[in-house]
Amino acid sequence: MATSLFSIIPGSSDPIYRQLVDQVRRLVAGGQLAPGAALPSVRDVAQQLTVNPMTVSKAYGLLELEGVLARRRGVGMVVADRAAGGGEGTAADATDRAALLRPTLERAAREARELELDPATVLALFTLILKESP
Amino acid sequence: MTPSPIQMRGVAKQFGSKAILDNLDWEVRPGQVVGLLGRNGAGKSTLMECLLGLRETDGGSVLLFGEPLNALTDATRARIGYVPQKSDLFEWMTALQMLDYFKAMYPRWNDAKVASLLDRWGFDGLMRNKPIRRLSGGEQQRLSIVRALAHDPDLLVLDEPASALDPAGRRSFLAELVDGVIEQGTTVVFSTHILTDLERVAPDVAFLKNGRIALQGELDTLLDGARRVVGPASMLGAALPGELRRSQTGDGSVCVIVQGGALLADTPGVRVEPLGLEDLFIEVTR
Repeated sequence: MATSLFSIIPGSSDPIYRQLVDQVRRLVAGGQLAPGAALPSVRDVAQQLTVNPMTVSKAYGLLELEGVLARRRGVGMVVADRAAGGGEGTAADATDRAALLRPTLERAAREARELELDPATVLALFTLILKESP
Repeated sequence: MTPSPIQMRGVAKQFGSKAILDNLDWEVRPGQVVGLLGRNGAGKSTLMECLLGLRETDGGSVLLFGEPLNALTDATRARIGYVPQKSDLFEWMTALQMLDYFKAMYPRWNDAKVASLLDRWGFDGLMRNKPIRRLSGGEQQRLSIVRALAHDPDLLVLDEPASALDPAGRRSFLAELVDGVIEQGTTVVFSTHILTDLERVAPDVAFLKNGRIALQGELDTLLDGARRVVGPASMLGAALPGELRRSQTGDGSVCVIVQGGALLADTPGVRVEPLGLEDLFIEVTR
């Protein structure tokens, strides 16, 4: 079932709706969700993740406002045609995608500061992690 | 306009000389799902019992669906479901006898829902016919939830409904809440200390503190607006917009919790961090 596209972490400082918004943006930017692809219904996502349907509606609504998603009659929410942008692999596209990583890295940076790690140590660790096979 | 399921004005309740509810005003609108938060002993159970008329108040007024508590019609009474934190009633009955007993009191009773919940929540033939006092705490709590959902209430009041449930039982209860209750537009008030459950299902939260609702709002908005600001005292001397509380840290810097104020622009030496629900709970109820 397509709803396993999403996962959430309740209790983090990111409200659940924002976690969903970020995930859809990442999936669209990374091409896992192509333009025209249908998203699982609000009800399915709410059931699958056990969250209030209003939270899912809110995330979808915001993504629609941003132009990432579009509402299509009879189908529900789909990825908007222009959402992925034309220039796959261009510099601007990479910048956009990198921006999506920022919230995660900001959290990591905060924890690094709490642990009083110096930037060189943190960057070395991140480089190491990037080279590990997934 | 449909009257609010819950409307409390100036409600007071004292135990001895201790004021538990102090001139409390609270309104819950139709279809709202509200998490009621507060420290142990803040009076959450008392508030729920007073609003349902299970406990007499010392003053103030309570309207349920627009009707005063002391003149509640049977029709309105039948629209309310309640799961107490701990119920010692009907312990000698079996689960099936207790459900039959309640069924006789309600004009509306959803047999299909009861059967399906009992099946899904592990009530086999043996358990259905055991005296309730011989069920485990979690089983009793699940049964109590089945009873409260059986008449498809329009207002559901839950006092720590998941406290005795294991993680799988909690998830299954939340799933029923999402799919069988919230989807129907039911108004829900529930208290819990399991904040991740609350975040999953309750778009709105209300904090009970010092006998009043100290803060109520949309959970997302509260989380989006809550920040911890840490910096040297020289830079954080004046009160910040939306300041909730401030404290000195060991190294002489100041830690300020703000809620809903304009977010501070980057200031060198000042750190601004988001807060999770647990941090917010601790700061608001401190």
